[in-house]
Amino acid sequence: MTRVTKIVLAALLALVLTAALVWSARSEDPAQRKARMIALGLQHKTAAELYRALQQEAGGGQRLAWNAMPDWSGVYTRARGGITFDPDQRPGTPPTAKLTPEYQGRLTKRIELANQGVEWDPISACAPPGHPRWLTEPFLREFIVTPDQAWLINEMVNDIRRVYTDGRQHVPEADRYPLYNGDSIGFWDGSRLVIHTNQLQAGIYQRRNPDYTNAVETVEIWEKTTGTLLEVDVWVYDPPALVEPWYTRQSYSKLDDPDKSLRIRYWNCGENQNNTVFETQGGATQFKDLTFTGQDDAKGATK
Amino acid sequence: MNARRIVMSMFVLTGSLMTPLAAHHSGTMFEEKKTVTLEGVVKEFQYTNPHSWLLIDVTNKDGSVTTWGFEAEGPSTLARAGIKPSDFAPGTRISITGRPMKDGRPAATWEYAVRAKDKKRFDPREGFRVK
Repeated sequence: MTRVTKIVLAALLALVLTAALVWSARSEDPAQRKARMIALGLQHKTAAELYRALQQEAGGGQRLAWNAMPDWSGVYTRARGGITFDPDQRPGTPPTAKLTPEYQGRLTKRIELANQGVEWDPISACAPPGHPRWLTEPFLREFIVTPDQAWLINEMVNDIRRVYTDGRQHVPEADRYPLYNGDSIGFWDGSRLVIHTNQLQAGIYQRRNPDYTNAVETVEIWEKTTGTLLEVDVWVYDPPALVEPWYTRQSYSKLDDPDKSLRIRYWNCGENQNNTVFETQGGATQFKDLTFTGQDDAKGATK
Repeated sequence: MNARRIVMSMFVLTGSLMTPLAAHHSGTMFEEKKTVTLEGVVKEFQYTNPHSWLLIDVTNKDGSVTTWGFEAEGPSTLARAGIKPSDFAPGTRISITGRPMKDGRPAATWEYAVRAKDKKRFDPREGFRVK
């Protein structure tokens, strides 16, 4: 066997092995894949560490040129999960996060109270949902990708996450302060967008879901897996509340829009008095003053 | 409640009714299992974020009129459900079903409405369906 033949055979073998690996990864059972992703999160103590490992694996990551950007055009909405954080949470079962005792206690109390009709959602006063809750809101979305930034847009309260893919780093630790959507940097690994977000502020994953703290950070891998589906691997790290990273797989479906009627409009949360609610002393939600009832509801007096 | 025709009924929760008002506030001020069905005339369709309100005038047994408000999701969700402002112009006669407020105020969730002239059914939560 000549040297050239050996090289050709070795190259063919490598090609076959790569194809087999790709085929294996693509045909992987969803449960097996989820277990692998959970294990990947557990291998890294922090979100920053996981992000660095992914970046290293991607050879440092890429900054795509305009003509290499993937096509994420269109209007999307969340494909699965309703308004629970983990789309795999089955109805009637608790959230899948592994919580510290303190945060498990908070969640248990929240669900007990909600079952009694006592529930207050912090976004009721028109605050944005904040990330990572941002991933769960069930309205329209657009995803704009450019070489230097990706804009991940949620219709609700005109909410845009800007992901810097131009090579910049996070804000220095001494200058960080809590933000609803945090500070996101990312890189491209082929058609996959890898994002690290820190500098977040405390919130809830959703109603009847756990709290997260100011220490929460996320790593996300976004990829368009079919012509109409964007799928996202998400690892949430939050040591005060989570005993281990909470892995979920989020997804967004591109909506049929043959007549181009789907349009994202400006969202003014306070435009209609009838949507104004307040938190009662007992922690429940109540309308403040419905305009059509003929009385001042807050005072019980006739208008 | 003095509405001319009110049907209060307990019924088993369906998937649709279990879908909460998602936009910005909890729906716990509304009954979970009771529904009210009213017939009336559209007074105003407030096509607004984060929730829309369909106001209808209902004539009571004594001839007085009560304005009821039915709350649904905002414009983009309604649009996806095929519900346009022109579907409920003032004066349109409808029958509408929702879960009423626990405190007795004349307001309810909008579960579904049927327009009298053509019997067309309008379900706001169809707007969450991923097609």
